[in-house]
Amino acid sequence: MKLQFKNFIVKDVVFGNDDSFKDGILTFNKENAIKFLMDADEHLVSVNLEIAKPGDDTRIVPVKDAVEPRMRVGDEGYFPGVTGDVKKCGDGVVHALKGMSVLGVGQTWGSFGDGLIDMSGEGAKYSYFSELINVCIVAETDEENERHEQQKKNTAIRMATLRFAEYLGKITEGLDTDNVEVYELKDKKDRNPDLPNIVLVTQSQSQLEEAGYNALLYGWDMNNFLPTVLNPTEMLDGAYVSGSFMPCSSSWSTYDTMNAPIVKELFERDGKEINFVGHIASNLNVSLEQKERSALFVARLANMLEADGAIVAEEGYGNPDADFIACIDALEDAGVDTVGLTNECTGRDGLSQPLVTLSEKANAIVTCGNVSELIELPAMSKVIGNLESLARDGLSGGWADDDKLGSSVREDGSIIFENNSSFCGDQVLGWSKKKMNEF
Amino acid sequence: MKKAVHYINQFFAGVGGEDQADHKPEILSELAPQSKLLDSKLEDCEVVATIVCGDNYYGENIEEAQKQIIELLKDIDFDILVAGPAFRAGRYGVACGGAAVAIKEAYDVEIFTSMNEENPGVEMWKKQMYVFKGGASAAATRKDVEVIANAVNKFIKGEKIGSADEANFFARGNRHIDFTPVAPASVRAVDMIVAKTTKQEFQTELPIPKNDLVPVADSIKDLTKAKIALVTTGGIVPVDNPDRIQSASATRWGMYDISNVSTLAHGGGYPTNFKTIHAGYDPAAADADPNRVVPLDVLKDMEKEGKIGSIDSHFYTTVGTGTTENEAYRMGLEIAEVLHEHKVDAVLLTST
Repeated sequence: MKLQFKNFIVKDVVFGNDDSFKDGILTFNKENAIKFLMDADEHLVSVNLEIAKPGDDTRIVPVKDAVEPRMRVGDEGYFPGVTGDVKKCGDGVVHALKGMSVLGVGQTWGSFGDGLIDMSGEGAKYSYFSELINVCIVAETDEENERHEQQKKNTAIRMATLRFAEYLGKITEGLDTDNVEVYELKDKKDRNPDLPNIVLVTQSQSQLEEAGYNALLYGWDMNNFLPTVLNPTEMLDGAYVSGSFMPCSSSWSTYDTMNAPIVKELFERDGKEINFVGHIASNLNVSLEQKERSALFVARLANMLEADGAIVAEEGYGNPDADFIACIDALEDAGVDTVGLTNECTGRDGLSQPLVTLSEKANAIVTCGNVSELIELPAMSKVIGNLESLARDGLSGGWADDDKLGSSVREDGSIIFENNSSFCGDQVLGWSKKKMNEF
Repeated sequence: MKKAVHYINQFFAGVGGEDQADHKPEILSELAPQSKLLDSKLEDCEVVATIVCGDNYYGENIEEAQKQIIELLKDIDFDILVAGPAFRAGRYGVACGGAAVAIKEAYDVEIFTSMNEENPGVEMWKKQMYVFKGGASAAATRKDVEVIANAVNKFIKGEKIGSADEANFFARGNRHIDFTPVAPASVRAVDMIVAKTTKQEFQTELPIPKNDLVPVADSIKDLTKAKIALVTTGGIVPVDNPDRIQSASATRWGMYDISNVSTLAHGGGYPTNFKTIHAGYDPAAADADPNRVVPLDVLKDMEKEGKIGSIDSHFYTTVGTGTTENEAYRMGLEIAEVLHEHKVDAVLLTST
């Protein structure tokens, strides 16, 4: 399988009469785009589109998902099993609009797993998406059944975000570029026997028993799932769609999986320092037995792939730490050297045990943030979405009232919240240029 | 100009060596030489007093010594306490930390000390204050004092002390996000797996504390002759909480006579009834029947039925929520000492 990206670097996004991509400028007709989204889903009551750029004095909340605009050449429906048929991905030619994302934003209502992005200022460092041009779908839906639930599926907005990423991706149809990236897993016979065989293990959010909240793999809900082997190109090519329930800084947006820096880095070193031998897709579970079963299967698959080493990345914290540590233990017990990739929950005071369970076998961990770090930010002149949702709707890092701190959202528009609600802030799939330290 | 007090032992005060280790706390009429050195390294802060205490005196009279130290400082206006450096001197390290914590509690001042990694005081105190990494002996005085002074200077300017590695103190389990630019996590992770699989050195970003497992005790050969004690972290106390055990982050424990009590439920024979003061769980069930946390009623039945030999004259109690590992360890040791005196064979340890 050979995945070839044709990268169209986006320098600016503007509304216009027609849809085009020229000289780095992506132009699209706003009315047509809104009509496309409304026609595609009767559950969307209203849709507006806004563009937020790095440096803007803009705060975006509640953000539900981020997706990179893509187009698979010669095919409709980019995300297999979700927006398209269940067909192989990770192979062939794909167009990508780089430097931008499509964000799904609630016009009014937020959910536990939603996050916040500041496009400039102190808050910008808490989200990767402050560095991108974001086309925001700001929508109201008729999903009354979950209106007052803290955990929402946000299906209509999430699906709209995927569809609109395809819509924008399609604007590049028929265009060509010299900016090409190629990813291809080597055949076994082409591996260098002197280099260690390394496998990637990802544990995606999947702990809600009811369908509709969990990460999807080729459209399959990962709650009811046993670990399987993927070609690493599949994750880069839309195999995953993000779930909705994880505290946001720990969450991996669909955009994160489509660009997973850890996958790209392993390809980069392949044949030089390592042999990249595959990707084991695992999950996060509810019961101890399920956690142990997944860990066991991961270790067995790693052995069958003849892995000398594994990198295990965890999407989440708290209870998922038990899956993370169980997986590391199982791999180490199976003779596979393991590195863990995670974030921590050390509390606002920094004094809590970083993971809920620890093991001396987990002796090589890369760590990307503290979910409960307290963040205080000044007001921004523009809000896309609904600022009050951070305090009102039970976002994982926000609160309506606190004896000492008051509400997360103050009358002057300034905010105080936990890193938990930074949009995909801890960037455990590899963007993270921050780490944890002892102070 | 901020003000600092310097705590040192009898030796560095020039009072004397081991023979003077029983020296009671006092404030020197003139700053000790080490205090003068410290003073010379501080910017915008002066050392206003040297307080001295003999290491043995402190170790053998902890509560009394702390009281005296606090009393001696009551008329002194100060913002910062520096203790030591204690180098590798174990008793000195224990005293530096203990005195500093007591002074902080009494006067709400920032506390700093320095010890060598082999000083047992490091493990005891590193979570409660900055314990800077110091030399093995007094030969390192100048360097150790400078490290402390640098941190104090930063603190006074309102600057961050920095990370444990930068400022050279023992990690104290206080972990926060560090925005100092580093390579992306993807690069760090692949670097680490390359190092680990090729047997090169690497450094984890999340050191896992050593598993401090206590070996399982020998089994009771004959339960019908065994004396059983009840110990709990569930916060069951007489309703007036006579030992003022804290509802969270406990540092105190209590032992209460149950030799004439048949049950902890209301009307069980004790002059007062029992309740829980634990702030970490819903107290309704425990208050309605404290036996459900400290199962004296069941144990009494078993004693009557001859299934166990006897029940200890007291039960032992503290609160487990938010309680630091250090305090829990100390209280455990203290309780175990009494259990030994009472010739207890086994303990039923109940949590919540």
